[in-house]
Amino acid sequence: MKIGQDSILGLFFAITGIVALWISIQYPLGTAGRMGPGFFPVGVSGLLVLTGIGVLVRSISSPGELLSAVKWKAVVMVPAAAVAFGLAIEPLGFFLAVLLLLVLCAATSVKFRREWKSALGALVFATLCTALFIQLIGLPIPVLGTLFK
Amino acid sequence: MDIFDGLLLGFSTATTFTNFVYCFLGVLLGTAVGVLPGLGPIATISMLLPFTFGLPVDTALIMLAGIFYGSQYGGSTTAILMNLPGEASSVVTTLDGHAMAKQGKAGRALAAAALGSFFAGTVGTLFIVVSAPLLASLALTFGPAEYFSLIVLGLITSMVLASGSLLTAFGMALFGVLLGMIGTDVNSGAARFTFGTPHLLDGLDFVVVATGIFGLGDVLANLEDERSRAAGVAKVSSLFPTREDWKRMTAPVLRGTGIGVLLGVLPGAGVLLASFSAYALEKKVSRHPEEFGKGAIEGVAAPEAANNAAAQTCFIPMLTLGLPGTATMALMIGALVVQGVQPGPEILTQQPSLFWGLVVSMWLGNLMLLFLNLPLVGMWAKLISVPYHYLFPMICVFVAIGVYSINNSVFDVYMMALFGVLGYFFRKVGAEPAPLILAMILGPMAEEYLRRALLISHGDASVFFTSPLSLGTLIVAALLLLSIISPRFRKVREEGLQEAD
Repeated sequence: MKIGQDSILGLFFAITGIVALWISIQYPLGTAGRMGPGFFPVGVSGLLVLTGIGVLVRSISSPGELLSAVKWKAVVMVPAAAVAFGLAIEPLGFFLAVLLLLVLCAATSVKFRREWKSALGALVFATLCTALFIQLIGLPIPVLGTLFK
Repeated sequence: MDIFDGLLLGFSTATTFTNFVYCFLGVLLGTAVGVLPGLGPIATISMLLPFTFGLPVDTALIMLAGIFYGSQYGGSTTAILMNLPGEASSVVTTLDGHAMAKQGKAGRALAAAALGSFFAGTVGTLFIVVSAPLLASLALTFGPAEYFSLIVLGLITSMVLASGSLLTAFGMALFGVLLGMIGTDVNSGAARFTFGTPHLLDGLDFVVVATGIFGLGDVLANLEDERSRAAGVAKVSSLFPTREDWKRMTAPVLRGTGIGVLLGVLPGAGVLLASFSAYALEKKVSRHPEEFGKGAIEGVAAPEAANNAAAQTCFIPMLTLGLPGTATMALMIGALVVQGVQPGPEILTQQPSLFWGLVVSMWLGNLMLLFLNLPLVGMWAKLISVPYHYLFPMICVFVAIGVYSINNSVFDVYMMALFGVLGYFFRKVGAEPAPLILAMILGPMAEEYLRRALLISHGDASVFFTSPLSLGTLIVAALLLLSIISPRFRKVREEGLQEAD
């Protein structure tokens, strides 16, 4: 299916704007002289809705550039690896979390091979990171997590 | 305190052994990360932020400035050797810089860039020394109406200069303003857009959003065409410009510096505008316009000088008004706030050693760049040629550590992942994220100044037109908007930004 860039972006703007507008009209609006917490957000999100509609209208009148194929593997895997890092850093600690993130990210690449050299490289890199960030810079992150205590 | 005392204070701050070493380290790290393809200054600075944590404020700021210059210069190196601009403002450098590199003149192109940048940096620093105290005292007379109009001008400039359509850029800026609204409203204490989580009460951390969109988002976009990434790094031969090179680049460097110094002060995308205008001007005044794009040294020297002069003077609105001129400056403000410094006109009077130390270290940083980059260019070239499948997992690790270490908050890491996906989405649909980043910092400021201005005038919006300065600023902003609608300017902008793609 061929979708234009503008149709997607217009939808994104319009939906975000509508949600933001719906949330912000629940805040006290105030008056121009005494702006309440809702005054500015209502204006901004209203404009965003209009912009979204504008972009949608433009996408109908002139289709513009089409959306190229999305490479889902990278889009899902790399952010998931970052989330895994977040999940791991407290229980497992800095060293293992870095190792996990590194390997999960690397696995996304088409050039990824399961071989001992890469594994060794990952271990060395995680060790260097630990030495650099924890020992040298002194970030207050435990090297080993709560699971090992 | 006059300028001379200030400079003396600055030298005594910047040349303490620790600060000097950290300035050097900042420049070195900034260049090393900045040369890596696909990492612009924003990603570089956010990755290197943790290195400045735990340092005293002045040292941290000096190191940050070093990182900033290093990343700028590193970006030019990649642009020349690999034809890969790290950010929009080094796009013009690729045109002639890479053409020179292909002819085996990479060394001379790099030298022209470095020498031009150093000269421009020196002039830019002097300009800050003279004008920042003036502007800071002027800024103290600014009321909320003037500030609001300046912010509007900054946002409009960044939209006009973003690639793609104005409507798209407008939407991105609005979305950025909404992101900036997240958190507790300073005035009423109401929690806005927090979706019920206490993590969002303090707002979204700006550095987290920038790192997600520019650091992680770039990785995702680059992974898209992993196979097609040809790592063609040009060889570096003789570094010394010939006598003819010197002759050809002197005037362009001077003109580029002049343009850069002036345009850098503009709120909005001054740096980008400076390098484009400098290139266009050289092409116009040159006696051999046909050589441009095919390896004219003027086409490297002038935009690089303009770029660097503007990079210097764009510190002026940030330091004196607390208003960031570019997305990178917005990130620098984010970094300063992490350090507990609120940039603004008071910084000069209340923390003079911080201000002057920074100014002097800017110049020292430029000097170091000159002596660091040219001799080490072989090493940078090696760094550039590291294949991406080794590089990107490491980038992911550094951005994750960087984001986590700001608040030791796992939530921030999740947010970064989310904004990484969003950053990729914006690239996919052809929306440039720079206006969003700038708007996220400027949006809440705009709200605050609008509120104060209207409070004073009892809701009468005509205050923005009765103050001459505010009116003038708004007129400039309106002219900018009008100019983009006029077909003639539209064509120029499209051509200019076309070269950027």
